[in-house]
Amino acid sequence: MSTNTIDSVDVFLQGEKEPSGSWVFIVLGLVLSLSFLVLYSILYPGQDLPVISDLMPVFKGVFDSGIWFFILGTMIGIFAILGRLLLEATSE
Amino acid sequence: MDTILSTMFYFWITLFVVYFLVQRGLWIFSDVAKGTVSFMLEKALGPGADLVEGRPGAGARSWIMQGALWMIFASMFTFTSMWLTHDPDALHSLASWGYTANAEELAAAGVYATLYGTVSMFIIGCSFHIIPKLAGTELASETNANLVSFVWTISVLVLVIGSQNNSILGIDVIPLGVALNNVVLLAVIMNQLLTVANRTRNIATPGWLILIALLSSPILAIVSIVSGAANDNVGQWLTYHIFGGTFFFAGVAGVALYASSIASGNPLWSKTLVGVTLIGSIFTINPFGDVDGQMVMDAFGPLADNNVIPFTNQDMLAASFLMALVSIPVLAFSSNMLVTMRGSDMFVDDPDASGNAELNLGSWLIIPIVIGSLFVQTDTVSGTNELLGISNSLSVMAGWLVLVPLSLGAALSLYPELVGRHLFSQNRARWGFWMMSGGAIFGLSITMIADFMDIALAELLVEDPSILSEELRKVGSVMFYGVVIGSILHSLNMVTGMFRGNLIPKKSVRTSSISVESYPLVSPTTIRRILSSGADLDTEVIPTGENDEKGSATKL
Repeated sequence: MSTNTIDSVDVFLQGEKEPSGSWVFIVLGLVLSLSFLVLYSILYPGQDLPVISDLMPVFKGVFDSGIWFFILGTMIGIFAILGRLLLEATSE
Repeated sequence: MDTILSTMFYFWITLFVVYFLVQRGLWIFSDVAKGTVSFMLEKALGPGADLVEGRPGAGARSWIMQGALWMIFASMFTFTSMWLTHDPDALHSLASWGYTANAEELAAAGVYATLYGTVSMFIIGCSFHIIPKLAGTELASETNANLVSFVWTISVLVLVIGSQNNSILGIDVIPLGVALNNVVLLAVIMNQLLTVANRTRNIATPGWLILIALLSSPILAIVSIVSGAANDNVGQWLTYHIFGGTFFFAGVAGVALYASSIASGNPLWSKTLVGVTLIGSIFTINPFGDVDGQMVMDAFGPLADNNVIPFTNQDMLAASFLMALVSIPVLAFSSNMLVTMRGSDMFVDDPDASGNAELNLGSWLIIPIVIGSLFVQTDTVSGTNELLGISNSLSVMAGWLVLVPLSLGAALSLYPELVGRHLFSQNRARWGFWMMSGGAIFGLSITMIADFMDIALAELLVEDPSILSEELRKVGSVMFYGVVIGSILHSLNMVTGMFRGNLIPKKSVRTSSISVESYPLVSPTTIRRILSSGADLDTEVIPTGENDEKGSATKL
């Protein structure tokens, strides 16, 4: 006895209509992140938020500002677009 | 005569002569001119023409996609400059590569990337689709339109580099970029004029808004240099604002008005209001943008002088009066857009169409931002300079809350027709809109509050910088990062949509912006099809008589 499981999973489906429930999780995420920021300022008063070089000392003297989080985020976005272009251009 | 009125007078006369020539042709030289321009656009390119495709819509598509990619860099430069305002040493590590990041220079790079990279590319890209449609013909040269888009991108790159270091090996970089830019613009104008020369019907007024926008740029440059306006700060200020009013405002208004009809499925509400927008954009001074003409001086390079003279009383009066009059075309444009998008019968062909939200946002926000800019510019012209501190934030607002949304909205509305596919995801387009608009509104408003605080402290002669103002600038710059994310989402959506977006059916014909007076009914049809032909509730449906009698030979 064999079951063809490939047929049932080879199509990826993604809905276009946004479910109203998803907003709850986004708001919850925002509230949580704000709560953590407040908690951080209570636990470590007067201390700036950690930057990349605090988390990874190998980058000390390079990524010493919070702006690098944002710049790296943008670079990921740009590479996602370039990657998409390359993939689509080379796919059959 | 004073600088303002005399320069504007020369500009109006030259523009009128060019308009007359476009309408009437060049007498017996028309055919020779057409042949020469056609040769220059296609054959004269030589092997360069083989580098790109010349399929219908390729030119417009190329300009719009590059405009979308520039949007990411434009928002990123602006964000970085906002961050460096409160944290000047944030990018000190780049000094080891020989680059010293500076808030002012990055802001200038942001302005060039926003205005020339994003807004201009969207305007020109949309115009390559709109003008042939309105003229009832094909674009004269798709190959040329496609090819020059890449040269334009190089020119924007040169401008961005020039904003960081204007003199490389003793050569002024910004004038070089502007010269390259104008060569491309000339090719674009030739292409469009040749298309207009082959028109099969009268061009609707939004088309003239776009043509006047394109033509005004070289005309203004010549008038400004010949009349000597480029040699002093008053003339440079005027040149900057006429350019903003004609090229940017008229161009954006033209593509947005056309797209409002396409996006909503409604015919354009009022032809008179479009005419008022067109006349107003030429005869008034647009207050958007900087309070000085530094960009003009940088652009003209050795052709401009650095004379600093105060505004005379006559100049002050003329400038203030002509700036106040700008409320007429702005209100005409905004009301026409908003009513068109809602429609006289609340009929919206596709309420989820991408671009609708952006067009709505730009049409609403143009009014408060133009009023704010009017106060700031009048304050500068009169020499009071009390509101100088908020001029930068307001200028960035005009870019990211009016010009970019309107031009992006138009590009998104035309996207399905140009690409043959829908955007990859409507949901992602919605997220892009909310991130961009939310980031720009909150980020720039909070920055403006910090500006006001600094102005108040400066008036009270407080020397220590305010901690609260600095904190607000931090929050403002972080919120503005939403614009960067929104730009990435939009660009990714447009790029992916080219390959994987849902195909649009061939029969899906969108409405034209011209309302039809009557509709001849020759066979049974649906109400949707009648409405999609441009008819509205006032259109007369005339059944065309048919009979089944057998035909016979015509008697001579």
